[in-house]
Amino acid sequence: MAPAGNFESMQAALDNGADSIYFGVEQLNMRARASINFTLDDLEEISSRCKAKNVRTYLTLNTIIYDHDLSIIKTLLKRAKETGITAVIAMDQAVLMAAKEMGMEIHISTQINITNIETVRFYAMFADTMVMSRELSLQQVKKITQQIEKDQIKGPKGELVEIEIFGHGALCMAVSGKCYMSLHNHNSSANRGACKQNCRKKYTVIDQETGVVMELDNEYIMSPKDLCTIDFLDQISDAGVKVLKIEGRGRAPEYVAKVIKCYRDAIDSIADGTYDKAKVIEWMLELEKVYNRGFWSGYYLGQQLGEWSKGSGSHATQKKVYLGKGEHYFPKPKIGQFKIEAYDLSIGDTILVTGPTTGAKEMVLKEMLVDDLKKDKATKGDSITFPVDFRIRVSDKLYKIVKNEEIQA
Amino acid sequence: MVVVTLQRKKCIGCNYCVDLSPNDFVMSKKDGKSVLLNSDDKKGFFTKKTLDNTIFDSCDAAAKACPVNIISVKMV
Repeated sequence: MAPAGNFESMQAALDNGADSIYFGVEQLNMRARASINFTLDDLEEISSRCKAKNVRTYLTLNTIIYDHDLSIIKTLLKRAKETGITAVIAMDQAVLMAAKEMGMEIHISTQINITNIETVRFYAMFADTMVMSRELSLQQVKKITQQIEKDQIKGPKGELVEIEIFGHGALCMAVSGKCYMSLHNHNSSANRGACKQNCRKKYTVIDQETGVVMELDNEYIMSPKDLCTIDFLDQISDAGVKVLKIEGRGRAPEYVAKVIKCYRDAIDSIADGTYDKAKVIEWMLELEKVYNRGFWSGYYLGQQLGEWSKGSGSHATQKKVYLGKGEHYFPKPKIGQFKIEAYDLSIGDTILVTGPTTGAKEMVLKEMLVDDLKKDKATKGDSITFPVDFRIRVSDKLYKIVKNEEIQA
Repeated sequence: MVVVTLQRKKCIGCNYCVDLSPNDFVMSKKDGKSVLLNSDDKKGFFTKKTLDNTIFDSCDAAAKACPVNIISVKMV
């Protein structure tokens, strides 16, 4: 299951083999602060574009809910149902009730923090799929999935409850989102999707009695590394997990493309019996290229805590540099035209094209024409053309991928 | 004169402004976002101008509390 913060990421997820996507509309989702959130009017396009690829669509409606939100919840759910969105991911009981009344399929958000079989039994009255707490170990998850099978715990659809866990992406320093730090310091509640991520900053700890600054190996004492499970995905599959959720509605389309592609490959490899260490190493190298705070296995393998990030930002080994905009596409010879607005571009560079319909596509530049002449290098102001097998649109942006030189150890 | 502006599209519906300045803000039942009472809409910026300077303190408190910084209050 892939995150879709906008149409670019959604398309990247569709192109790279996601089975389902999740997204927020307007303010009532855990990424309310995001500058671009889908609106009610986008639901139809989301639904139709995903249906065409047989991909399921999940609307996140998982913040805490106040009285004044009750009517917008109904509006959102109604519109979601009308446009054929597959299900709603909910936390608040008000949302559960409203969706149940409407006959909308419900998934239980990780915000509910399900940690035991009895809670699963309770929510089975409402939901067919449940996201487990991110703090469970795989053994605990396995026990739950076995018990579901044994007790034949079924959701409203009449099928066994499906268990979903988070597979990749940012982790929270508190119990998944149940955190008041952002609210305390910035008046901005994480539980309304407005987390300021202040745990990601540098901190020192001072003993108030003596004024002694405590010695800590790492100043980012509250910023966990990112979750990565690709190296033990076989164990996850063995634990009976049906859905692997990728975090990152706030991340870039190329991130979604890369991560979904790796996990798609990995899941397919497990299915056909070709999952091995060599492949894991390759995937890890790919995953390290996009945004990450360093990786660890979360709580699934039951390790000790204390895997804190060593920097404030990303440890990605690559970054993208903006070059310019799409100008034209010649469909017959399959040539794309771009205007270079910054930096330069040479033959052999890896380029990235992103756009709301294009998604995020990467390729190596093999040849190009600069103002109709064959050249090896293009600079700012040039209009360039090169062969490309997908349609280029004026809403597309062109980037080049460069090595990130300033990676902190 | 006090000038209050609300960029309501970005509102996340936290209700702080209504708590702090209930005479000037209400939550919309329709979309769950804040509404600045007696304001005019100019391209998404809702502005209220009033000679009643007594509203300044409560509106200013609302502006300071707003987690997404979409309220501004000026005394002119």
